[in-house]
Amino acid sequence: MSGQSAVTPAAISPAPRRLHDADLVYLYDGSFEGFLCCVFESFLQHEIPFAIWTPERETATLYPIREIATDHARAQRVFASFGKKLGAETESLVTRDFLSGREDKELLLLRFLHLAFALGPGTVKRMGHPDVAPLYEMKKSLDWEVDKFQGFVRFTEYDGMLGAVIHPKNYILPLLRGHFCGRFPEENFMIYDAVHQAVLLYQNHKATLTELAAPLELPPPSAREQEFQALWKQFYDTLEIKARHNETGRMSHCPKRFWQDMPEMQGC
Amino acid sequence: MEQSLMDKLTILADSAKYDVACTSSGASRAARAGSIGSCYAPGCCHAFTADGRCVSLLKVLMTNCCSFDCSYCVNRKSNDLPRATFSPRELAELTMEFYRRNYIEGLFLSSAVLVSPDYTTERMLAVLRLLRGQYHFGGYIHAKAIPGTSPELLEQLGYLADRLSVNIELPSEKSLSLLAPDKGRHSIFRPMKQIAVSGAASREEVAVSRKAPRFAPAGQSTQMIVGASPETDYHILQLTEGLYQKYNLKRVFYSAYIPVTEDTRLPALDTKPPLLREHRLYQADWLLRFYQFKADEILDQNSPNFNPYLDPKCNWAVQHYGLFPVDVNRAPFEMLLRVPGIGPKSARRIWHARKQASLGLDELRRMGVVLKRAQYFITCNGFSGAHPGQGSAGRERITRALIDPNVFSGGVEQLSMFSPPAVDKLVAQGVPPRAAQRMIREEAVQCLARAL
Repeated sequence: MSGQSAVTPAAISPAPRRLHDADLVYLYDGSFEGFLCCVFESFLQHEIPFAIWTPERETATLYPIREIATDHARAQRVFASFGKKLGAETESLVTRDFLSGREDKELLLLRFLHLAFALGPGTVKRMGHPDVAPLYEMKKSLDWEVDKFQGFVRFTEYDGMLGAVIHPKNYILPLLRGHFCGRFPEENFMIYDAVHQAVLLYQNHKATLTELAAPLELPPPSAREQEFQALWKQFYDTLEIKARHNETGRMSHCPKRFWQDMPEMQGC
Repeated sequence: MEQSLMDKLTILADSAKYDVACTSSGASRAARAGSIGSCYAPGCCHAFTADGRCVSLLKVLMTNCCSFDCSYCVNRKSNDLPRATFSPRELAELTMEFYRRNYIEGLFLSSAVLVSPDYTTERMLAVLRLLRGQYHFGGYIHAKAIPGTSPELLEQLGYLADRLSVNIELPSEKSLSLLAPDKGRHSIFRPMKQIAVSGAASREEVAVSRKAPRFAPAGQSTQMIVGASPETDYHILQLTEGLYQKYNLKRVFYSAYIPVTEDTRLPALDTKPPLLREHRLYQADWLLRFYQFKADEILDQNSPNFNPYLDPKCNWAVQHYGLFPVDVNRAPFEMLLRVPGIGPKSARRIWHARKQASLGLDELRRMGVVLKRAQYFITCNGFSGAHPGQGSAGRERITRALIDPNVFSGGVEQLSMFSPPAVDKLVAQGVPPRAAQRMIREEAVQCLARAL
């Protein structure tokens, strides 16, 4: 009715702004807390930015850039709302997917969160929805890589300390921690992620995850170590049944990008 | 001359490689303080050999010096090949060093029969005791029960290993007595039964007290050779189902027979290993374990062998075409599982997602349903089932969508690993591989369409 709309003065309570695509880019520090602050900003402004970048991914753009400061209190507030309003399953899915190596992961997560806060905790089950399905794709890629690296990490012994180098697409060290620390409680070991420049160090029953400023160079294996690598390679080569040779099978289970860090694959 | 560790490893890995079971699944255990090694329930593959098989465990024989003479086996007494034996200490140390470097998930210990079954098992027990006792090894151990071992020793083996297995070797008693005269039916099923009974008793004790010792927590498995003897697929599948039900087996493995010896009782040396048949058996095995199928639904007396061109699930769907299409938004879970193109994972996703909102084709595609196959068997929101067209053209379209792509995936020069016998025959007559594949493919499509 026309009379009713005249009674509601726009000056007292502004009409709720609708969620819209904004022509600007968010820039944050790349941490999970920083991302949560981007979520806060996006909900505050009812906008979905054109892109969300970290300083490493920043490129020349015509869109204005808005820097999002990382604020611990805000991040806490956003994170608490995940568990409270969206359920534990959503919380763990979003946290896990943040480790993905996908370029546009922040934007995908943000779109999902807008949908989830609108529809409630059941949203996470709508695996066919265009804003939900990408989260499961990222999760699949992460889980696959974690599963592969649990098997493909190769330690080399350096005077009692075990060291390994990996080149993963996703930032999976936090997800490997539980497995390897639970498996080798009495060993000292380190896993170096050469792509993300990070090290998982487990020493004296304590695990630490550090990001490095400069690339790490591991010393060459000792003579004793080379002996074990030769035994292992020999064992590996012997196991093949020649009558069933199947190179495509091997490549689909163990793609070439893993080979550089596996001693038995050298010279294959 | 003293053999080096390298020589022994080569000989004993080479002798063990025909054993297909290399899984490390079924047990879940974290390392205790002071120990090393854990078990991860889904299992873990540490490498893949050039034949595409997973390497999970250090799979070796304790020894390949055998006093049996089974004609299908490389290690039989009468075969002239280099022999070697690990000392328990040597093998335990090698396992530990490989394990620390994350090369392996544990040890798969099998053996030829040295002196007597009991003597052999004693030696295997010595390795396991060293590993579990002295090295505090908590990783996965799969031990093979040697046919003819005394029940007491088998019992001890079970409390040290995670999984035990007794190989059936051949799918019928007749073939067994013909090809493996030293192994009677009794010497295989008696230990299998003992493992099943002890395992069940141990699980009951563990339910009462968590600290009770566990007998083979990852259960038992078995393996049989396919293609060395004349049994039908139906026979093998029924045997498999019986084993799952009666002995509560975790897995049944099949191994396509690879000729290793000239023997009038066996296929000729130039026979190709029946890889397609093995593949179909695994597919059917999956249907038994994860898709709630019965052996009698997959094959029967009238069609006792698998269709080489259709996987068993598609084959069932084609034969029960009258039950389809099903409504994805309403169908019971068991029926979802039977739709070609929907697997257990996508069925579970559909089951959850349809409670939130009605599903259409786009949603199904994003959930991982293979619509190329599923379209003729489902209806959903905004989609009333694909219409293949009238008459024989329509039937042809359906069979083209269902036919197993793996069978004809070979290139210009090379055949697919799973090429069916009909294609092999044409190629042997001099037809180029690609042309042969095309011819047989067309023939198969016509034939299946007529039967639909």
